[in-house]
Amino acid sequence: MSALEEREFVLKTPLSVEEVMMLRVGDVVSLSGELYVARDATHRRMLEIWERGEEIPAQLAGSVLYYAGPTPTPPHEVIGSIGPTTSSRMDRYLEAFLARGVRATIGKGPRSEMARKLCEKFKAVYFVACGGAGAYLASFVIQKEVCAYEDLGAQALLRIVVRDFPLLVAYDVHGGDIFEEGKLSFRKR
Amino acid sequence: MKVVKAPEIIQAVEQSLWELNVFGSRGLREKMFWAWQEEEGKSGREMLSQILENYAVAEEKKVPLCQDTGMVMAEIIMGEEVRIEGGSIREVLDEGIRRAYERGYFRKSIISDPFFGKNTQDNTPGIYFFDVVKGDRLQIELLVKGGGCDNITTLTVLEPGSSVEEVERVVLQTLDEKAARACPPLVVGVGIGGSALYALFLAHRALSRPLGSIHPDPRYRALEEKWLQDLNKLGIGPQGVGGKVTCLEVRIETHPCHIASFPVGIACSCHVFRKKTLWW
Repeated sequence: MSALEEREFVLKTPLSVEEVMMLRVGDVVSLSGELYVARDATHRRMLEIWERGEEIPAQLAGSVLYYAGPTPTPPHEVIGSIGPTTSSRMDRYLEAFLARGVRATIGKGPRSEMARKLCEKFKAVYFVACGGAGAYLASFVIQKEVCAYEDLGAQALLRIVVRDFPLLVAYDVHGGDIFEEGKLSFRKR
Repeated sequence: MKVVKAPEIIQAVEQSLWELNVFGSRGLREKMFWAWQEEEGKSGREMLSQILENYAVAEEKKVPLCQDTGMVMAEIIMGEEVRIEGGSIREVLDEGIRRAYERGYFRKSIISDPFFGKNTQDNTPGIYFFDVVKGDRLQIELLVKGGGCDNITTLTVLEPGSSVEEVERVVLQTLDEKAARACPPLVVGVGIGGSALYALFLAHRALSRPLGSIHPDPRYRALEEKWLQDLNKLGIGPQGVGGKVTCLEVRIETHPCHIASFPVGIACSCHVFRKKTLWW
């Protein structure tokens, strides 16, 4: 039962197909490097841009997309609190991003069956970060900049640099699903 | 007649909202430590230990526990002999919100209209419910909920005369399907009876009970305990990654209802349980 094994990986972005192929549901990953941060309105904006046949100012090949909208940055901090938002709301945009080379997404909670299959098809992994631990997760962010769409406020596209950002593999590229497997292992009725 | 000055309320609301978003209450921290000790799932335990770490970081840096600093809800129970000097109760509460969210560098998450709105930039307006009672007491039950847990709020209308077991099935099925998306471990409010509208209100009122409180009616107290145990057998676990602790508490509120209906409202708070009572 993979969800019960102790496996830890230290990875750096950009991620390669080979790296994500190694990962299994329940693995603990300590991720360093660049992440793109986007939530609902950011996704809608980027999709509109692609539909017009234009490009966005981000390098998506091998990239990691973090579903989050941080609080405003207080003085003397790199960033405000930044925990994950509910990933399933981004399912309808997922294919467009995976098709452009996004290798992993980070969020919280289960996603649709379609999203799980897309992860398999495009060899992309879905990580969960701990929801509601925004202050703790912010302490792993060492750099932040607005990449585009500043007019969206808390939903602007950000580029952040993280060091040892703590993650769990939720969907691996082999069809594994932590929510289903986890529930089955602990279900008592 | 008791006169309460607007600035007093504004200041109390501001301070409370700031504290609720930055500090986990002592009761909440104790409950979460219990959950961490109880949890057997490796992934679930990892999530709980990060939740515990989060209290320490937020407190030290004075930043919010969660980036979703929520929408503010309040039930206002106002004695007939209370007068607020210097503003209407709505204005005063909104001003408290405005100041707390500015001061705390909290996220402003409210848009002025679901279709055509823009961010109001100060997290107002709050959602308010009013009750007028005899006497000279003013009581404000503040509840802050993020979008994730509010999104799983569910109304089910059963046939009149439904049994305890049927309601239990609704509670278990609803949470089995939705709990993982709402940042468990959850505090669960179940409103039974009233009308369809009121059942959802009752479910939220149930969330306003303090942690560790027990239901005054032993029959409901027993149900709350049973449903909690049953929910924690679902296996959903912290953050939905599998485990023993899906819910921290279950609270039930009931109300007289129509002979033709049997509404059941379910509302949950995520593990960042933000609730406080103010009174004058």
